Amino acid sequence: MTARLVAQNVRKDFGGVQALRGVSLTVDEGSVVGLIGPNGSGKTTLLNLLAGAEKPTSGTIELNGRRTDGLPINRVVGLGIAKTYQIPRPFLAMTVRENVAVAAMYGAFHRKAGEARDDAGRLLSIVGMDRQAETVAAELTVQHRKQLELARAIATGARILLLDEVFAGLSGDELARSINLVSKIQKELGFGVLVVEHVMRAVLTLSGHVVVIVEGRTIAEGAPQEVVHDPAVIEAYLGTEVARAPT
Amino acid sequence: MRIPRMRFPTFGPTLYGLALVMVVLGVATPFLPIIVKVQLINFLLFVGLAYALNFMTGLTGYVSFGHAVFMGIGAYALGGGIDRLGFPPLLGVILGAGLGAAFAVGIGLVTLRFRGVYFAITTLVVFLAAKNIVPEISELGGGSGIFMNLGFQPLAEFYTIWTIVVLEIGLTYWVTHGRLGYGLRAIKSDEDAAKTVGVNASRLKLILFGISGMFAGATGAVYAWTLSAVLPDTGFDITYSLRMLAMIIIGGAGTLLGPFLGAVIVYVPYNYFQTVQSLLGLQLAVIGALVLLIALFIPTGIVGTVRRYVPTLRRYVE
Repeated sequence: MTARLVAQNVRKDFGGVQALRGVSLTVDEGSVVGLIGPNGSGKTTLLNLLAGAEKPTSGTIELNGRRTDGLPINRVVGLGIAKTYQIPRPFLAMTVRENVAVAAMYGAFHRKAGEARDDAGRLLSIVGMDRQAETVAAELTVQHRKQLELARAIATGARILLLDEVFAGLSGDELARSINLVSKIQKELGFGVLVVEHVMRAVLTLSGHVVVIVEGRTIAEGAPQEVVHDPAVIEAYLGTEVARAPT
Repeated sequence: MRIPRMRFPTFGPTLYGLALVMVVLGVATPFLPIIVKVQLINFLLFVGLAYALNFMTGLTGYVSFGHAVFMGIGAYALGGGIDRLGFPPLLGVILGAGLGAAFAVGIGLVTLRFRGVYFAITTLVVFLAAKNIVPEISELGGGSGIFMNLGFQPLAEFYTIWTIVVLEIGLTYWVTHGRLGYGLRAIKSDEDAAKTVGVNASRLKLILFGISGMFAGATGAVYAWTLSAVLPDTGFDITYSLRMLAMIIIGGAGTLLGPFLGAVIVYVPYNYFQTVQSLLGLQLAVIGALVLLIALFIPTGIVGTVRRYVPTLRRYVE
């Protein structure tokens, strides 16, 4: 059975602030959905709700028809949804291999320690970090930390990956390489991926479907090329005048 | 001709070293003079306490100031078991271990919702509550405690605490080298990130707190056995909480060898100072100064520092 993550009419209030005002979204295994929107529009909040890091105020989140909202995040990981942090949070005192092995042991696969270390080795070669396997995570560069974050999420055995700005802060070659890497992994391993992203180039290259949220509401969705030409989206990003200006 | 390679289980030099020390102590003690036996019992009580706290504070990073409570619970379990239920001392120690674990799990269910310094404060509050409540309970002897007429049983006491320490060392090794150890190191490093990769942090912390309380309870029971008495003052003595912390900080929190080293370093001056009239009462000041220096200059303790700066020893010290 292929995994399918469905969020319906999800709302989230923080005290008086309405971070999400009813957003719906579907991520199927094998597809890449891009989630874009200006700063503060609720992207990371939505991702946290999908991952189980927080509970929605109302609305439902289901994986293969089973409710996951309200479950603690470690249970949601066990069911097959994993997220990465926008600012990578590796286990600094552990080696790269151990970081990934923890995820293999405690994620959906429940690997034994020895198997998990082997799994970690394989995954690290997939993300191109086998040379750093025995490096302590505290000594990694930002780029490597991001790759580790990705490897760790994959190691949990998740079928749906929620990637929070994995391309932020990268430029030129690094960015191109990262986009290729994510694309390659996604195609080879067939994950469903939700990419939350500011870097348009990444979203447009990777996603088959894009959802735009502004101030907690979905304002547009569809194929990437349609969405970026949608006047409402241009307005949200660049302001009214640009949207109205003749092109 | 090739000689077939012998396969030994690889447990690592630290575990073999500790095992050797324990075996030597176990074999030699019956033949040692009585004064040495008593000192070894007291020393192993320190070791037992150090490993007990190491399970919680060393392996999860959650600092507990309240471990003297579990000692006290163990002591009262022994006293109550012997005095009221007619238990033999060994059964009292087992009861102490069971009640220590039960109270730790019960207390942990509430206090482990707090993190960092807030957890540490709740453990202190639990300690103060217990210290004030227990002397009011007349069934537990009220303010005058429970006296047991056990006589002097150095070998029975010795082998009980020896067994407790052996179990602690074995369990520490098992926990740190398996799946559980990976999860705990992840929690200690970044609890939220650990949950994000699927680690059930709440359950792991509770298990470790339970183990920690169990061994502190068992050790506390043996301590009461050596005193042949349970008193509110010695049962709930905050300096024992501090000594436990001092031992694992000095030796290296969360390590296999650290608590043992820490116990040696804390016990020796403690014992020596008690024999010299002019130094009596200074032992806590010396230990306090030592902890301060370690915390300032080598916060990972002796074992952590050796592993970091002496790469050749890294394979041998854990």
